[in-house]
Amino acid sequence: MTTPAHEDTHVDHTDVPEHGVYVPPSGWHRWTYPGWLRVIWATPLFGALGLGLVVLLRWAASWDPIWKWSSIATVELTAVPLGFLVGLGGFDYWARYCSGKPTLPEDHSRHGARSWRDYFRINTDHKVIGVQYVVTTMTFFVIGGFLALLFRAELAHPGDQYFNPQTFNALVTDHASLMIFLVIIPAFAGLGNFVIPLMIGAADMAFPRLNALSYWLLPIAGIMLLVGLAIPGGGPSAGWTCYAPLCQHQPLGDVFFNMAVQWAGASSIMTALNFLVTIITMRAPGMTFWRMPLLVWANFTTSMLVVLATPFIAGSQFFVMFDRVMHTNFFEAGNGGYVIGYQHIFWFYSHPAVYIMILPGFGIISEVVAVMSRKPIFGYRLMALSLLAILVLGFSVWAHHMFVAGMAGWLRVPIMVTTLLIAVPTGIKVFSWLATLWEGRIHFTTSMLFAVGFIFCFVIGGLSGIWLGAVPIDIQANQSYYIVAHIHYVLFGGSVFTIFAGIYYWYPKMTGRMYNERLGQLHFWLTFIGFNLTFFPMHYIGLQGMPRRVADYANRFGGINEFISIASFGLGASTLIFLYNMIWSWAHGPAAPNNPWRGLGIEWQVSSPPPIFNFEEVPQVVGSPYEYGVPGARHVIFGAPQPEPVPAD
Amino acid sequence: MGYDYPPPIHFSSRISPVIVGIFLFIGSEIMLFGSFFTVYFFDRVVNHTHPWPPPPYERPVFVAGVNTLILVTSSFTMHWATQSIKRGNRAGLQAGMVLTFLLGLTFLLTQVIEYHRIGFNTSDTSFAATFFGLTGLHGCHVFVGLTILLAMTIRSFRGHFSPEHHHGIEVGGIYWHFVDVMWIIVYTTVYLL
Amino acid sequence: MRHRASFLQLALIAVGSAVVLIVVAYAVPWLPYPASREAGRINFVFWYAEWVSIFIFAIVAAPLVYSLWAFRVKENDLSDGPPTHGHTGLEILWTAIPFLLVTSIAIASAIVLAKNGRAGTDPLRITVTGQQFAWTFTYPNGQTYPVLRMPVDRHVKLTLTSKDVLHSFWIPELYQKQDAVPGLPTHLVVSPTRTGVYPVVCVELCGLGHSIMRSQAIVMSQNDYDAWYSGATKAASKPAPGGAAGGLAVFNGNGCGACHTFSAAHSTGKVGPDLDKLKQEAAGAHQPLDAFIRQSIVDPNAYIAPGYQKGVMPPTFAQTIPGPKLDQLVQYLASNAK
Repeated sequence: MTTPAHEDTHVDHTDVPEHGVYVPPSGWHRWTYPGWLRVIWATPLFGALGLGLVVLLRWAASWDPIWKWSSIATVELTAVPLGFLVGLGGFDYWARYCSGKPTLPEDHSRHGARSWRDYFRINTDHKVIGVQYVVTTMTFFVIGGFLALLFRAELAHPGDQYFNPQTFNALVTDHASLMIFLVIIPAFAGLGNFVIPLMIGAADMAFPRLNALSYWLLPIAGIMLLVGLAIPGGGPSAGWTCYAPLCQHQPLGDVFFNMAVQWAGASSIMTALNFLVTIITMRAPGMTFWRMPLLVWANFTTSMLVVLATPFIAGSQFFVMFDRVMHTNFFEAGNGGYVIGYQHIFWFYSHPAVYIMILPGFGIISEVVAVMSRKPIFGYRLMALSLLAILVLGFSVWAHHMFVAGMAGWLRVPIMVTTLLIAVPTGIKVFSWLATLWEGRIHFTTSMLFAVGFIFCFVIGGLSGIWLGAVPIDIQANQSYYIVAHIHYVLFGGSVFTIFAGIYYWYPKMTGRMYNERLGQLHFWLTFIGFNLTFFPMHYIGLQGMPRRVADYANRFGGINEFISIASFGLGASTLIFLYNMIWSWAHGPAAPNNPWRGLGIEWQVSSPPPIFNFEEVPQVVGSPYEYGVPGARHVIFGAPQPEPVPAD
Repeated sequence: MGYDYPPPIHFSSRISPVIVGIFLFIGSEIMLFGSFFTVYFFDRVVNHTHPWPPPPYERPVFVAGVNTLILVTSSFTMHWATQSIKRGNRAGLQAGMVLTFLLGLTFLLTQVIEYHRIGFNTSDTSFAATFFGLTGLHGCHVFVGLTILLAMTIRSFRGHFSPEHHHGIEVGGIYWHFVDVMWIIVYTTVYLL
Repeated sequence: MRHRASFLQLALIAVGSAVVLIVVAYAVPWLPYPASREAGRINFVFWYAEWVSIFIFAIVAAPLVYSLWAFRVKENDLSDGPPTHGHTGLEILWTAIPFLLVTSIAIASAIVLAKNGRAGTDPLRITVTGQQFAWTFTYPNGQTYPVLRMPVDRHVKLTLTSKDVLHSFWIPELYQKQDAVPGLPTHLVVSPTRTGVYPVVCVELCGLGHSIMRSQAIVMSQNDYDAWYSGATKAASKPAPGGAAGGLAVFNGNGCGACHTFSAAHSTGKVGPDLDKLKQEAAGAHQPLDAFIRQSIVDPNAYIAPGYQKGVMPPTFAQTIPGPKLDQLVQYLASNAK
């Protein structure tokens, strides 16, 4: 056994003869034990405390009106979720720690999942958390997609048919907010959560309890957004961008958006911290940074982006909430506020956000393309360096969302230069994947189909991005349907396709079952065709003059909009095939072998699904993860004598 | 299914995971303050708001300056507490923690009192917004820091921590030093410039 | 089965995809016909980027399509491909060439951007005001109109501002767009080259009436424009009976004509009820005319005309129109209603 370079953070099992043994609570203790029964009373209790706090304070300070709903909503949207988390048990360990009680020996007996119930509680097993994330995000994907079909029905003809403008704006806002904060960003967090510890040879994440908590913040954020739609007065309707000063003058539902973003952001930051510390400090012996799989590199750079950038959107939402609730003047033009400041602060996060939404996808595609072409990734080092380049450059381009915002004119040229330059590391990746495919042995599994479809769609989206980076073109195209086309080519044809690729690729490992390959292929083709038919025509109507976020538009765009709406319904229907395949196969699919894709990665060397603690002993990494084509090459071996730990590069 | 307990952790870095974690977290906190400094920059500099503060508002530079000294002192007592436990001096640890907590509490209460006496409220122009925004954000961090200090103080009185195991003190100390350094930047920006 | 790579086939696929793309690029009228000098220059950058993109897409499509066809294997084929780890020369090439291409796009764009910002020595200066949910245009004669009229072949310098939230001013055929920001005047230069009537739209979500916040840009010959301008200026300077000039100024200054038809003011907006029918509407609401007009302005949601929706007409006119001006407006509307 290796001597740790510093203190061991858990009790060595050879010292303690038996671990804490879990005894299920009985009688009234069931109501005080962390879990759903405790949630039932803890949540309203915290809600009542929050309400009481606001009302008492306002009464004592003689502020009028005492029942000010925007203040109450803000406090309640913090207190009620906190009560929920306390009830579920997210803070129990830390509460005991802070109270100074003696440390209990670690109880591993409840680790992992043995029944469906284990997925509905605070669970510290990264594999369980990964599945929780993926199932939750796919649920919100269906809901967010349904919202889109609602407003596509409205958009099929000019004029207002089904929804009034308030509802339309709310549908558009919630569709985007759900897809960005509740689907794409956390889906990658979920896939990463499941795969990364396995890929680096670790038993779990660095902070499993924090990991468990970060998951549960997500359904809170999603429910908040959906409940916001039903608030009297109107739901969040200032767009997912929620620009000041419109945002402060919106109905109460917008507070639900502001707070949901905070909860989702907190979840994202916690996960990213966990990923970073795990990748830096818990790699198996022999795994230098240059022997890490590209998925690990991708999540590493993404997590750096999350940790550094997400606080800016938190700040932006604080400011608009303060402007609304406390009548501050951060962005009120009449009182010394600077309106465009919101956009700078918002986009300083939201541009890195788009890289947060694609870099893990790049990592997934690298894994899938290498394994399914039976070739090493072409130019591995440059692939890793290009991720770092995107990380750095990603912070320098935010104002390209503001070329017509009225900011200082001279600023547009340097931003244009950095924006166009960021195409270079992205292009390097595309060319590397193409070179990996070249002379390979290509297997067209569903994950590979999505990987190829991704390359096609992402190149189109990336090229339209280059056009938008050129300021003169952006002046015509900005805020029109051209942007909607670009967004969806990179986020749907880009990120969502990689999420599908990742889910199909790791499905056998996560569930222990094989999905139905034919249904998978059908899902791909219907999605690919439906997607392109829906979004390609949007480039045209955008340049011709149709603004985005409108329920009504000039009559001449009617025909194309009708076509797009019909295509979008087809796209929506294709998702049903995916859902059916995933659910049915999990229950009835054939048992999956350890290594259905014959991959070299560590995750493929253990059973499907993996043992509860991943490995019996820490594996030893002896080579690159992509040595396909080299007879006898191994990435990892088990059971070899371990040398001293290798410090990170 | 599977094994009964996890394999021993292999550490691929000489720095403890907990220390890496707290430094990264502080990175994100610095960026959060960064967003508040950014809005201050836009509202004052880019918006060409002169004079600043707009009359008749004034900033309590002296009281806040004394408060700064109190907070800096608390960093020294925190450092003393950390060094004490590293050398096995439990009494020094406990004294240092209690002093740090009391000094921090004094700082926070002084700030609250100053808020009452300051003569402007949150809706008085962007000057007030950025003033309360930056000092308020910092105050929230002091509150969180005091909570952490309280927990560590309780633990040090209940026999936890030793020269070999004192991550709690180290992590709490790193956070508290961050709060202190950030205050110096906030004080300079908000009260002096 | 190993397949020898054929560069001829690769080139064929590349050329083939390029041809398809060129057909798509030229057969579809992607951009509106440029009707301003700025549009002409933007068009150039657009086509330059188009050619760069066709090139890039072709060199991506070729190896992609070829590999998928030539190197696919059956499921039971367990062999691996050759362990090619990289090729430094190739990697340098596909870093350097995109770098040069995007740099060239940046240079072309920077030049066009600089040229498009120049308003010449004597531009026509017009102030554009955005408000929820109308555009109004104020001319050098001090008058405000709901429609933008410009002479052809002249530089026009627009100064944009907003009365409430962010709006964005776009004339798609003239390829120029700029946000209207409250508290911060922004600028836009437009140099129309073709006469015609072009739609103006708002492209920044500004609330419930965002989709209907539209106007028109009418580009006229210099003679027609001079005729209109002098006529309009004279009409404004003549004191009209019953203080109607004041009422018309309030009507125009608040963008009423953008949403309402009212023949006395020569406005043809179709978003809200027809003000020529005010007497009928007042009867329908069982209110005397003057009271009905006043309520409809200061509390628009109190009575909604059949066929129209709540919440679109801004409820803020009570605050933004000073008392005396409101009186003038009500009197103006009442005396000219049919």
